[in-house]
Amino acid sequence: MTAAFTKLKTHFANWREWEFNPIVIKELRQGVRSWTVTGMLLLFLVVLLLTSLALLIAESFDAGNLEMGGKMFSAFVVILAGASAFFIPLYTGVRVAAERVENNHDLLYVSTLSPARIIWGKFLCSAYIVLLFFSACMPFMAFTNLLRGVDLPTVFFILAFLFLVVCAINMVAIFLACLPLSRPFKFLFVIYGIFQSFGVIGSLVAACFEFMQTGVGAKLSEGNFWIGVLTALLLGLAVTGLFFVLAVALITPPSANRAWPVRIYLTGFWLLGGGAALFWGVQTGEADRLLAWAYPTLVIMLLALLVTISNSDALSLRVRRTIPASAVKRFFAFFFFNGAAGGLAWVAAILAVTYGTASAIISALPTKGIGSASPSVGITSLTIAAYAFDYTLTGLFIQRKFLPRRPPKLAGLLAILLAGGWAIAPVIILFFVNQLSWRSVEGLQLGNVFNVFSARDDHQLMAHLFFACGWLGLAVALNGKWFVQQVRNFRPPQPAAQAVPPPLPTQEISR
Amino acid sequence: MKVQVNNLRKEFGRTVAVNDISFAFDSGHIFGFVGPNGAGKTTTMRIISTIEEPTAGDVLLNGISVCEEPELARRAVGYVPDTLPAHGDITVHEYLDFFARAYGLKGKKRTQAVEAIEEFTNVTGIREKHLKALSKGMKQRVSLGRALVYDPDVLVLDEPAAGLDPRARVELRELLLVLAERRKAILISSHILTELTEICNGVVIIERGRILETGTIEEVLKKSAPRRTVAIRLLESNSHQNAQLLKELLQTPFVENAREVTKEVHFELTGDEAAACAILGGLIAKKYQIIEFRQTKANLEDIFMNVTKGGVQ
Repeated sequence: MTAAFTKLKTHFANWREWEFNPIVIKELRQGVRSWTVTGMLLLFLVVLLLTSLALLIAESFDAGNLEMGGKMFSAFVVILAGASAFFIPLYTGVRVAAERVENNHDLLYVSTLSPARIIWGKFLCSAYIVLLFFSACMPFMAFTNLLRGVDLPTVFFILAFLFLVVCAINMVAIFLACLPLSRPFKFLFVIYGIFQSFGVIGSLVAACFEFMQTGVGAKLSEGNFWIGVLTALLLGLAVTGLFFVLAVALITPPSANRAWPVRIYLTGFWLLGGGAALFWGVQTGEADRLLAWAYPTLVIMLLALLVTISNSDALSLRVRRTIPASAVKRFFAFFFFNGAAGGLAWVAAILAVTYGTASAIISALPTKGIGSASPSVGITSLTIAAYAFDYTLTGLFIQRKFLPRRPPKLAGLLAILLAGGWAIAPVIILFFVNQLSWRSVEGLQLGNVFNVFSARDDHQLMAHLFFACGWLGLAVALNGKWFVQQVRNFRPPQPAAQAVPPPLPTQEISR
Repeated sequence: MKVQVNNLRKEFGRTVAVNDISFAFDSGHIFGFVGPNGAGKTTTMRIISTIEEPTAGDVLLNGISVCEEPELARRAVGYVPDTLPAHGDITVHEYLDFFARAYGLKGKKRTQAVEAIEEFTNVTGIREKHLKALSKGMKQRVSLGRALVYDPDVLVLDEPAAGLDPRARVELRELLLVLAERRKAILISSHILTELTEICNGVVIIERGRILETGTIEEVLKKSAPRRTVAIRLLESNSHQNAQLLKELLQTPFVENAREVTKEVHFELTGDEAAACAILGGLIAKKYQIIEFRQTKANLEDIFMNVTKGGVQ
């Protein structure tokens, strides 16, 4: 506490020496010099100018037009959303990806800049470029207010909304660029990202039009409006923060405890979300509000499961040296350190607590939305989680037992192949025996997680649950020895005897 | 600043890149790091520079472990990789300024440090040039400047002379000598071994991740080449005269492996300086018109060829 206070005090005492993040300076210098940013900005301004002129000329013939400002603003929103949600994330992502070549010790990774500062710098720089585009567009947009059809609060609200969304997209682009993929894969990602961005731009424009139609000015005094805005803002921040933490983990050296910040963040996020959902449920008297917390938790944890089993078992010396010596501290640390076993334990613990808490509260409080369907919802979730563990633990067992010399990420790939293969194989067999029909696909296919979603009745669902739990028992038994070994290995290294290097040369340099 | 490499080991899967190596060097020393391609030089240098983590062992920089306190250790090491900066949209000054900022130099201190380094590495005249427009030698200077801008005590240079023309190589050598005079501890790997012999006062020869020889240049030379080669040139050097001399030498004590090498006669001297003196005296007494009698010193290149087998992993 005292140390933290001293640090804070020093931080403020040295405020005069505060300087921008070096990454921001470097990136902005490069951005200003690059023809990509300058050219795009000029093109953007030209398009805005031509659009304004075209609309002014076309609409000025109608003297009674009271919607001219609205029409013009709509056009500007489309141009701004298109330029900022497409060009800036693409530019940011490509720049980060180009620098993020594995073993590229040239620029960023041989300095005392922390990975968090590097990613923060990249993010800030992209935000400045967004700001640049927005400040170029803002006079045009504010001008539309004079032409009627849109109020100033709506103009600024939409600008703020667009700005935050584009910043969040930039963070996602930085995360994708940090993924350790080869150039061809990154190129495919860019193509995919370009196609996705059209959808994102469409949704953004639709949302902006919705704000325009309903008008923001009139709602500013409504409490519900601000609750909605604040909730969306917090969720957006949380998701952006998650991508930030993930990107930082990706560029952190493999010898560091990469899992720590991600798992701490997700655990904190999960706890806060659980608290908020519980509060919401108690306030409204509807326990099913907890599902708004439980479902995303399930989805995120299943993704985390895939990532964690792809982790290596061997902890680096640097990580092992930070393992607490105390047994109690070591127990908690196990969940937050690198390694597949700790990751599995962490996911299992979070899912178990989520399921237990949600079930207990849902059965204790009255339910509305899910009503009588709640038991099957619970069983479906449980079955999906059990199947997910089945696939991952089986993939883990195959990799560790039969392919130990192959990289551990193969375990994750095997889990995906297992799930996919189990889903596709019956369809192929049915096709070749000429029995393929919608009814046959919907029939009971034990081991196929996708079949759970088309279960006809509770009996089918229960059959899936029993099968998944049986498989899980077997998978746990198969991996039990490995897991126990990992727990045993999770301890600080024994101090090694100090080696004595050969004596130093005594001869001095002479020119 | 004392750099101690203690029982360093690095494995990449089944490949042992560095296998239990230990050596040490100190401020004011230039330590050569020699080995064939794939010997583990770059891996060791990357570990010293905190870029890689060893599988076992440690490197201590004045007692600071690169494993336990990599952030602290990183401040003490300047690493010049074998790749050169090639950014198209950044100038030399901006490049150095960025690294000065990245290492926490602020305000006037940073400006002064960058200017001093530009002057020291002689890049002041090209400070506004883009990196991609520079020659290899100039890029190497910028790379060295980048490593020096925050004034580290240890300098790790991976093949800094590769691809440089003779003039640039001489200039680099001069810079390194100045840095050694400024009490920097320097570890340098190079394939141009004659150069290392001239500037290094210690050497490590490594192959397949293991140390083959280490010590001062003199120690290594003595250890690896106890026999000296002596070259004799006669006034009227022809094959007949040389054949006579060869016949004579074969009957002389402390002489082995006498042979004719491009109009000269070379032999291995198994005795000491007095033996060499006696041989010369004997030949003169027998009226051989000797105009040159010299010992050819074994250099690092000879030792390198002797002790290494060229194995890679």
